Amino acid sequence: MEYFIQQLINGITLGGLYALIALGYTMVYGVIQLINFAHGEFFAAGGYVGVILLSFFTGLGYMETHPILCLSAAFVLTMGYCAFLAVGVEKVAYKPLRRQSRLAALLSALGVSIFLSNGLMLTQGVYDKAYPSELFQGGIEFGMVTISYLQMMIVGMTIFLLFGLNILVFKTKIGMAMRATAQDKVMSSLVSISSNRIISLTFAIGAGLAAAAGIMVGLYYGSVRYDMGFLPGIKAFAAAVLGGIGNITGAMLGGLIIGMVEIFGAGYISGQYKDVFAFIILISVLYFKPTGIMGENIDDTRV
Amino acid sequence: MRKKLFITLVFGLMVVPFIMGTATAKTLKIGSMSPLTGPYASDGTDIKNGVLTAIQVFEEAGGIPGYDKIELFPQDTACDPKQAVAAANKLINLEVVGVVGAYCSSSTIPSSETLDEEDIPMLTPASTNEKVTDRGLKYMFRLCGRDDDQAPAAAKFLKDSLNAKTVFIVDDKTTYSQGLADGVSKACKALGIEVVEHDHVNQGDKDFSAVLTKAKHANADIFYMSLQGYSPGALMALQAKRQGLKSQIVSQDAMFQPKFMEVAKEAAEGIYITYGFTDTTTPEYKAFENIYVPKYGSIAAYATYAYDAATVLLKAIKAAGATDPAKIKAEIMKMDFDGVAKRIKFRANGDSGSSYIAFKIENSKFVPYWSPEQGLLK
Amino acid sequence: MIQEFKKVWKPYTIGLLWLLGLLWPLLGIHPDGTLSFDKTFTVWLYITVGTFICLLLYLMNKSGSLDAVSRPLAGMRETVGQASSKVPNWVWIIILLAVAFSYPFFTGRYAQDVATNVLIYICLGLGLNVVVGLAGMLDLGYIAFYGVGAYTYALLNIHFGMSFWICLPISATLALIAGCIIGYPTLRMRGDYLAIVTLGFGEIVRIILNNWMSLTNGPNGILGVKPPSIYIPSFENGFSLELFYLKKLHYLYYVALVLAIITIIAVRHLNFSRIGRAWESIREDETAAELMGVNTFKLKLLAYAMGALFAGMAGAFFCARMRFVSPESFTFLESAMVLSMVVLGGMGSIPGIILGAAALIVLPEVFREFEAYRMLAFGMAMVVMMLFRPAGLIPAKRMGTRGEEKEG
Repeated sequence: MEYFIQQLINGITLGGLYALIALGYTMVYGVIQLINFAHGEFFAAGGYVGVILLSFFTGLGYMETHPILCLSAAFVLTMGYCAFLAVGVEKVAYKPLRRQSRLAALLSALGVSIFLSNGLMLTQGVYDKAYPSELFQGGIEFGMVTISYLQMMIVGMTIFLLFGLNILVFKTKIGMAMRATAQDKVMSSLVSISSNRIISLTFAIGAGLAAAAGIMVGLYYGSVRYDMGFLPGIKAFAAAVLGGIGNITGAMLGGLIIGMVEIFGAGYISGQYKDVFAFIILISVLYFKPTGIMGENIDDTRV
Repeated sequence: MRKKLFITLVFGLMVVPFIMGTATAKTLKIGSMSPLTGPYASDGTDIKNGVLTAIQVFEEAGGIPGYDKIELFPQDTACDPKQAVAAANKLINLEVVGVVGAYCSSSTIPSSETLDEEDIPMLTPASTNEKVTDRGLKYMFRLCGRDDDQAPAAAKFLKDSLNAKTVFIVDDKTTYSQGLADGVSKACKALGIEVVEHDHVNQGDKDFSAVLTKAKHANADIFYMSLQGYSPGALMALQAKRQGLKSQIVSQDAMFQPKFMEVAKEAAEGIYITYGFTDTTTPEYKAFENIYVPKYGSIAAYATYAYDAATVLLKAIKAAGATDPAKIKAEIMKMDFDGVAKRIKFRANGDSGSSYIAFKIENSKFVPYWSPEQGLLK
Repeated sequence: MIQEFKKVWKPYTIGLLWLLGLLWPLLGIHPDGTLSFDKTFTVWLYITVGTFICLLLYLMNKSGSLDAVSRPLAGMRETVGQASSKVPNWVWIIILLAVAFSYPFFTGRYAQDVATNVLIYICLGLGLNVVVGLAGMLDLGYIAFYGVGAYTYALLNIHFGMSFWICLPISATLALIAGCIIGYPTLRMRGDYLAIVTLGFGEIVRIILNNWMSLTNGPNGILGVKPPSIYIPSFENGFSLELFYLKKLHYLYYVALVLAIITIIAVRHLNFSRIGRAWESIREDETAAELMGVNTFKLKLLAYAMGALFAGMAGAFFCARMRFVSPESFTFLESAMVLSMVVLGGMGSIPGIILGAAALIVLPEVFREFEAYRMLAFGMAMVVMMLFRPAGLIPAKRMGTRGEEKEG
């Protein structure tokens, strides 16, 4: 039982991180039907800017006096940075291709992904960068079950961000505009919604969430690396599709399921096949419900 | 119109590779192969830097008679067999006299076959898989130790020094890490240590919480982690501490990298690793340190071996006075000197022997702790 | 020229400032609590100067200031073009074949190695083209079939000593069967759902190859696979046949060339057959195709199987060439590379894909000189190529107009 609870906690933490990354995928897909392969790189960039800022604060000595303030500042600035990055990438590499076949944009996204991860490698070096570890040391223990403060912080932060996003998308005017653009670009532009601006905004929000996930991954695992974006990117993509791509609640659910399956697969069956379990779940769900768990029926899509 | 474009471009692309790779002047060309991009870029860069340092030292000492300068052609293998073979062919085209590399055993094995066809000596500083030198290639040499030497040494250490009864082994499914983990598992069983479980993670994983929870509940005396590269190792050590793993962590040569402590911080303290014995007090090591550290930063696992490999190659060329591979090989086999990493003397199959000892991490330093012959050091 | 410049200077300046803003945190904030600007500015200045020159050249060309150079060039191209259009198609093909066949005589090892790689990827690209370009199904796990082919040959050769030529069809068949198995459950899905499922299958195959120790020897790979062999008649001691291994690179190049030519011919025939038309109709509008009596299920499965067949063939050859096979060669990135070749060259266009394969293999090799910068340059090249030729280097000619074009 203790074993089960511990693995459950591990799964929730990992699933929450996947969900945050998956949201960016799903939002971008919802508005412009593009699988943004560079999204994982926004996540990695977030991790890096986070470590740069946090070590900078440590160097200045503020970290010891105002840890919470520093951390919040790092979160806000990093999310801003990645939003800025994503908007630029969208303008340079995706916007000119919006009227072309979707595969052209997909390939461009792949190019951006290779470019960004190697750009990170060249500016930040090939070695891991360690996060300052003074934050959130220790945890609570119930017998064999350990919940670290970090895990609590991550789950709390994830829930906070997800709630924030839900309110933004479903309760505000901007969110309404976003949903309108996702449904029909032509119609929404007729009611004077600037689709360009909405697309930029979507990229910014998605990248901001990925950046937050980047910092949390850095804090949780202790270090970041230039190629860290690739695998979580793919997993998050799987999560987004599992939940029904384009659907925000679906992405959260998908992320959580993928995280859980991985942890329980590794914990109860075999660590080497955990990715296989995740993909098998994905494939079998899609086999019975080809548009994902929460996805509505799309009639005709093609490459 | 389209056809024309097509034909011009095809011809253009065909011409490109053979324009490239033409060089001039009386330079001695040597190659290095290591992953400069991809997940193992850090170790690959260390190897390149080690070789560059050796060349610098040699040139400062007067170079090699008959040559104006020594030039290194570093090639990226990305730890991918296909790219490694392409890199080997590129080096053959450049007419290098010898190659230092590669890092991943799975790159070294196919590329060495290619280099061997053209009789180009290859000295690997890092590929520990047995197959590297066991295939009977004429010009394959190895500076580091072998997996089947390290595993028994590690098992003996667990038994004699740590009094282990049970061990939990985890590897990340690469040629190197799995080979070593299997070896340790076998050697442990032979010594009567119970292997509670042998689990695997995948390359590129960051989250080890599931396997660590498993290990925590298994509560073996020893948690043996066999991972490719220091980076996943540091992550695992850190997460193990946070999960409250009680077992003693023991690991292997890939963790011999100061960055390991930088990332794992206090979680690294008290971890044992097995690594080829390197005497850091010798004048050779000090001299190397004085050149390497200011230029490239801290000395890592394979930089010393890469330096030694390049030194062996250059010394052999100098002594042979020719670039004839047979003569170079004869000189290499004659060699017997103190290198930076270890005493260098080759056996008939190209191995140079291994001298694995256990190090303990204390105050962010690797401290020699135990050797199979002498038991506890100090 | 000035007019043109006036139009672009604003976005250009904003872009550069944006870049500066992105670069500075990465290069200018130090862990010891200090800030610096010099390094960022030098890097930024290099980029600015470089891009400015490119922009200037581009604008000059556009506004006609470079006419002195470009007009004679265009004129030359025109005359060559006119001359070449008079020459029938088959002459060009013969010239191309002649060059391809004589290639090893005037090139070194490295060039031959690269060329052999290009030929393998031509087979892969054309195979994927059947799935993506013709039938319009996005496949991100294509490399799995390549892996199946490679491992089939490796295992049959190691355990049963079977020769390459017997294994080649077996590998292709097994890959085809694998294609059917994987294709069957995925056919209900469309578009991006299909993409992720194929990606999943690709990863599953790779993980199984990496973990099934007793069969595939796991990450260690399989060593000592024999290269293709031929029997050559020998007349010593009477007449006998001698087994001769095609170890040398230029022999392998010829084998690859023959395989590539077979693939090209086969795909061309498929493309212009009834089946090819049916595939295209599925790509353009699946519902309409079904209405017109096309058996979409069977044909989609067939497209999948045909694609896998070529990949299996290429895989067997890849293994024979490397004489070694390990799961590292079959990662997702490899699938993405093959897909890039298809899209970059122009979906559905055979010369386009040949060119795409050549470009994507040769480019990283050209960039080899830049060492660590090589993948950076490669990524950038990919984006730039897509921006300037979004339909591919040589887009395929299409029958009729497509829905997307009407929408605008």
